Amino acid sequence: MQVRTSISERQHLSSQRPKQHALNRRGLLLAILCFASQVFFVSAVAAQSADSQPPNLQSPAFSSVSTSDEAQDSTPNSPVPVLQTSAGFLTLSDMGEAHVHPLITPVLLLPIGQRWLFETRATFESDLAEQPGVNGLHGVVQKEVEYAQLDFIANPYLTVTVGRFLTPFGIFNERLYPVWIRNLASDPLILPIGIGPSNASTGAMLRGGFRATDAFNVNYAVYYSASSTLSPVDSSRFAGGRAGLFFPKARLEVGGSYQHLLQDDHSNLFGFHFAWQPPALPLDIRAETARSNTGSGYWVESAYRLSQLPFAQSQFRRAQVVARIQQFYTGPNSANSVLPVNTNMFEFGINYYFSDDFRVISNYGRQFAPQGNGNVWTFGVTYRLVAPLGHGDIQ
Amino acid sequence: MRRRLILAVCVAVLICSAVCVVAQDRQNAVSAQSPSSDATNHASIFVGSASATRPSAHNSWSASSDVLHSKVLDARAMRLEGEKRFHTNCGRCHLAPHKFPPRAMATIIRHMRVRALITDEDMKYILSYMTQ
Repeated sequence: MQVRTSISERQHLSSQRPKQHALNRRGLLLAILCFASQVFFVSAVAAQSADSQPPNLQSPAFSSVSTSDEAQDSTPNSPVPVLQTSAGFLTLSDMGEAHVHPLITPVLLLPIGQRWLFETRATFESDLAEQPGVNGLHGVVQKEVEYAQLDFIANPYLTVTVGRFLTPFGIFNERLYPVWIRNLASDPLILPIGIGPSNASTGAMLRGGFRATDAFNVNYAVYYSASSTLSPVDSSRFAGGRAGLFFPKARLEVGGSYQHLLQDDHSNLFGFHFAWQPPALPLDIRAETARSNTGSGYWVESAYRLSQLPFAQSQFRRAQVVARIQQFYTGPNSANSVLPVNTNMFEFGINYYFSDDFRVISNYGRQFAPQGNGNVWTFGVTYRLVAPLGHGDIQ
Repeated sequence: MRRRLILAVCVAVLICSAVCVVAQDRQNAVSAQSPSSDATNHASIFVGSASATRPSAHNSWSASSDVLHSKVLDARAMRLEGEKRFHTNCGRCHLAPHKFPPRAMATIIRHMRVRALITDEDMKYILSYMTQ
């Protein structure tokens, strides 16, 4: 009887599923409408208040990016295209297996008029490793367009982005991913959660940041991604958003991410991020957590510049020590899990900055997993070059 | 039930944002009524301390000198504020880069405005600092 009841309940539930899906879609649509109305409300108020803001910043270069119509007409100095290239040459010993990982990542910034920007980033990389029966290290060059997006700066509060863009789930994928920025060479274990099959989305996004009060700024991003099976620009169908509060005086940022899959199991993903730079110390503390059906976990990273040591400051001020601890747990959907088993990892690194764009990195990591523990050693150099594609000085 | 919760959160965020923006709008209106902005206030600190010791009678030469002096101090105040905001915003992810030509810097700051969600005001100060 109990079994029959449960079966009938299941049948009842299965008959209710289309309605629930319809309700889910309706709820999601309402949520998106809420966010859209919020964004347009903000932009409308911003447009009203734009005239009341005293424009005291009148440098020629500033006027070239001002969003006011007056500045558009008066400036003779338009931004020029810029090519930024970051490169890395990393050598790894992963569980005793040698790898050489060269990569080069050009970023093209193409400003159009006063409010538009086309930006794209490609990556050419290879993972050279020993092949069985062949001497030396071998690998193939992988090419990927990580993002190619068109940005329209509608007003100080709103930027509209279309195209292929990095999914704003958490902060690592968008802000800390480039090889010349990241403190440790390896990706966090939870990085694949929420960012799509190729770290990017194909669709549209509304985003912006503004000062809410004297105490904190608000930043937000709302996006929709369509499904694409075209490799290597594949993406999943989902919608989501990220919001954060940044307290400039404390240099503290906290925020959260949400994403709803519109395909497969229609599951929800949640994430939270935290970043803090104590003003009195050359210390960075960052943390992220993510939860999904394909896995959950967190990472906490701290990086300390040795610029406050009382001795040998000229040498030590360029050095940085980094530590990161992270844990990953498999989720209910173990078939599509990010990692097959629960994994813990601890990493420690020392970086030395010869200049702001050239540094040597060295990491040691220990991975703890049920199938066995192992060490990961990394040593390499990273470099970044910025080249204006035009006459960069004021005309 | 979960959808209702999400909707409630969205509405709450909407209301909070509306309140914040209205508050900022009022603040902007108040600051527009006053003759000076933030950067001018910073500059007036320097100008005020210098001009307080001067005699009240000015000839045309001293007036033009005062204007030039205030412009220099205004630029200095902006540079200091821009440096502070640069370290607060950009320094969260990377070190201070070389200073690039102004038109290239205008492109880079537009890119970072989108990427790092820098506010419009911070962007202007940072650009002013990075192009001086």
